[in-house]
Amino acid sequence: MAHATKDEGHGDGEHSHGIGRYFIVWLALIVGTTLTVITGRIDLGAGNIFLAITIASIKATLVVLFFMHMIETPAANRIVFVTSIVFAILLIVGVFGDLWTRNAMSLPSSAPSTEGPEIQVPGSAAPAHEP
Amino acid sequence: MSQSREHGNVDGELAAAPEVNYLNADRGVWSWLTTVDHKRIGVMYLVSVLLAFLIGGIFAMALRVELLTPGPTIMGANTYNRMFTLHGVVMVFMFMIPAIPGVFGNFMLPLMLGAKDVAFPRLNLLSLYLYWTGATLAISGMIMGGADTGWTFYAPYSTTTPETLFPVLLGVFILGFSSILTGLNFIVTIHTLRAPGMGWMRMPLFVWSIYATSIIQVLATPVIGLTVMLVGIEKIGGFGLFDATKGGDPVLFEHMFWFYSHPAVYIMVLPSMGVVSECIPAYARKNIFGYKMIAYSSLGIAFVGFFAWGHHMFVSGQSTFEDGAFGVISMFVGVFTAIKVFNWVGTLYRGSISVKAPLVYICGFLFFIVFGGMTGIAVATVSLDVHWHDTYFVIAHFHFIMVGAVIMAFLMALHYWFPKMFGRMYHEGWAMTAAGFIVLGFNATFIPQFLLGNAGMPRRYYMYPERFQALNVASTAGSSLLAIGFIIILIYLVFALVRGKRSVDNPWDSRGYEWMTASPPSKHNFDETPIITQDAHSYQKPGEEVEHVVI
Amino acid sequence: MSSSDAHAEEGGLPHHAHHFESQAQQDGAARLGMWLFLGTEVLLFAGLFLGYTVYRHFYHEAFHECSRHLSLVAGTTNTIVLITSSLSVAIAYDAVKKGKNKVAAALLVFTILCAIGFLGIKSWEYWVKFQVGELPGKWYHFSEVTAPGANLYYTIYFLSTGLHAFHVIVGMSVLLWVLKGVVKGKYGPKNYVAVELGGLYWHLVDLVWIFLFPLLYLI
Repeated sequence: MAHATKDEGHGDGEHSHGIGRYFIVWLALIVGTTLTVITGRIDLGAGNIFLAITIASIKATLVVLFFMHMIETPAANRIVFVTSIVFAILLIVGVFGDLWTRNAMSLPSSAPSTEGPEIQVPGSAAPAHEP
Repeated sequence: MSQSREHGNVDGELAAAPEVNYLNADRGVWSWLTTVDHKRIGVMYLVSVLLAFLIGGIFAMALRVELLTPGPTIMGANTYNRMFTLHGVVMVFMFMIPAIPGVFGNFMLPLMLGAKDVAFPRLNLLSLYLYWTGATLAISGMIMGGADTGWTFYAPYSTTTPETLFPVLLGVFILGFSSILTGLNFIVTIHTLRAPGMGWMRMPLFVWSIYATSIIQVLATPVIGLTVMLVGIEKIGGFGLFDATKGGDPVLFEHMFWFYSHPAVYIMVLPSMGVVSECIPAYARKNIFGYKMIAYSSLGIAFVGFFAWGHHMFVSGQSTFEDGAFGVISMFVGVFTAIKVFNWVGTLYRGSISVKAPLVYICGFLFFIVFGGMTGIAVATVSLDVHWHDTYFVIAHFHFIMVGAVIMAFLMALHYWFPKMFGRMYHEGWAMTAAGFIVLGFNATFIPQFLLGNAGMPRRYYMYPERFQALNVASTAGSSLLAIGFIIILIYLVFALVRGKRSVDNPWDSRGYEWMTASPPSKHNFDETPIITQDAHSYQKPGEEVEHVVI
Repeated sequence: MSSSDAHAEEGGLPHHAHHFESQAQQDGAARLGMWLFLGTEVLLFAGLFLGYTVYRHFYHEAFHECSRHLSLVAGTTNTIVLITSSLSVAIAYDAVKKGKNKVAAALLVFTILCAIGFLGIKSWEYWVKFQVGELPGKWYHFSEVTAPGANLYYTIYFLSTGLHAFHVIVGMSVLLWVLKGVVKGKYGPKNYVAVELGGLYWHLVDLVWIFLFPLLYLI
């Protein structure tokens, strides 16, 4: 019977390959880990976080492509996973955009302002803002 | 094969002999509770969501009664807070999100695809069990300990209020899991179980809408799961994530909450739009106008809906840059909705209209989605929302969509598919009467609320200045009409269930694929997988005139 | 996902449910279902990565200092343990497909031992923190870092690693269940998708840690 559905079980195993590639990937991951540990403790300023994320992303890509067989899995599965990453990034970027563009004084990390006039709140002894 | 019956007659003769269908194939309560049949699961969802709707509706009526007078009428402030929390939590998480996918998605999806069941039937049953568990936990938590935060659980109130919120948060978390698993199941079903001949562009539009809905369910719901979990942890552990006194940021809660809860409203509205796309061709006996645009616009709404959450936070302390960005992006959803409305009206135009109860709901839906959607564009305008935020204007806006559009569609689906699901026909006269009560009652309830909100009446307040009383009384009076409408529907549908006339297999002579099976369908839907040879919603071949038939 | 009796049979016991046309179609569905589930897990952890991003931005000094107080040895060891366990579970899956169930079982046992090792090291790290007051939110009383926001660093730390550890436990349980099937001969060249799916879940656990490690321990 003709199958209209394309996403059947040709996910993998149809292409048989040796396990050698897994060891190579493992080695690459170990190298990546070593690299990230060494560079992580060197002070590169803002570069640290970018380098760490980059190395982590490369390691993750290797795991996803080879250990999780995404390199030979049907397109639907790939789209699913990539989409979830995209929306995870959207969540982080969208919220971060708020913090980045907020008035600095309204951030939780800003210390209470000690400038400006002391405001007396009627009925209370202490001024309205205290450090 | 099941017995065949005549087409084209609304009031068919009684079947010659009782036949075996999914309703009577296995007997006993246990066979229902442990079923993996998607149709039985759909029916159990129906009973469950209607119960939830009843509970949510009773609390809505309590709120409206309280608001009859400017001062306290039947309850105090704390009770009022608990009531609107209950109303919101029950309606959003136990009715609006699960209703159309859980009931009609479950029942119709495999039938529409030519499949014998969903991809993971046991997972489907688990979704139902999780729904029951989460609902029971949340409702009992609210009734016993009380939750007074509103359904939005804003920090820092939710993390510091002495009310025991934990069972409610856990219940919502479990309900979220149910939603995720349903969405997952439907996506896999649509990808893998389409019958031969059914390419993506031959799928019924209801299936497209369920597909878009399921994508949102899978992507967005985990975020709210995490968020309510964090609120619970913070209540117990004082971890400070949303607590400004410990260096946290309450607005972070809002970002995380609305990242789900805005796409959630598209989980509510997309299936309802799918129902409309099914019903309009049937009651206009005309090919759907603009199939591709309707299909793609469903995906468009799902996509753009993820970029708009900040419009709930215009006055919460978000940056003005994001205020503006979210405001503009939110308006784009209107484009996709408008595309659909034009296509629906284009389908009705010069069709052979059958004036039945579902058509009343169709007309109501079209009016309410346009009106409600336009007020959505209005509140998406930052400068205007500064005035309208947290007033009855916003309440009226979202009730126009949630009740006016989604519940109209739910009732539409319930009536359109009642004969399919139960093999019986309800009384048309009572159905029309009830539809009239619903549409009129709805207008009477919520139009005054636009005026109230614009005049400045805040939401979630049990007391208000005297000058708002007249409109509040009008709104409450309208809600009574709504309630009467729902009660009438309940009565005649239950009556139809037990004593109603037997229906023919396809009383509407609809070209939907689900109508190819018997009504009610047999346990396994199809003995052999059907082969699809025509497009969905296809009533005329190209060049053919619309046939004028009275059904 | 297929359900079949645990009869030992050469090559595994193929079976597909009545609503699927073939085992291949069912396996394809199972795979898509698991990838979707992994997608939900990505979004779940995304919320915590968001928390990290937000509070790092607010309190970068405290975050920088606090990460210096985490045990780099423990973190690196755990990273290597997880990476190696990913390798072993990938080879185990390959072995099942080739019918080498004994090899697969041994590798799965090794993977599970790695998981236990990970949890052991993690528990030690947690215990140390309880001792010195490196605790989340209002419980924080670690005298060595006084920069504002240090308490939130540990909030993020405990939430992220805690949720991750929970997933390690779940993954371990899944692999135990898969191991049982491999030992009993339920899985083999004719029926291996369950092993694949268990492995996929385990790889996700590894993936999350690949990001958590540098963010929490290194920078």
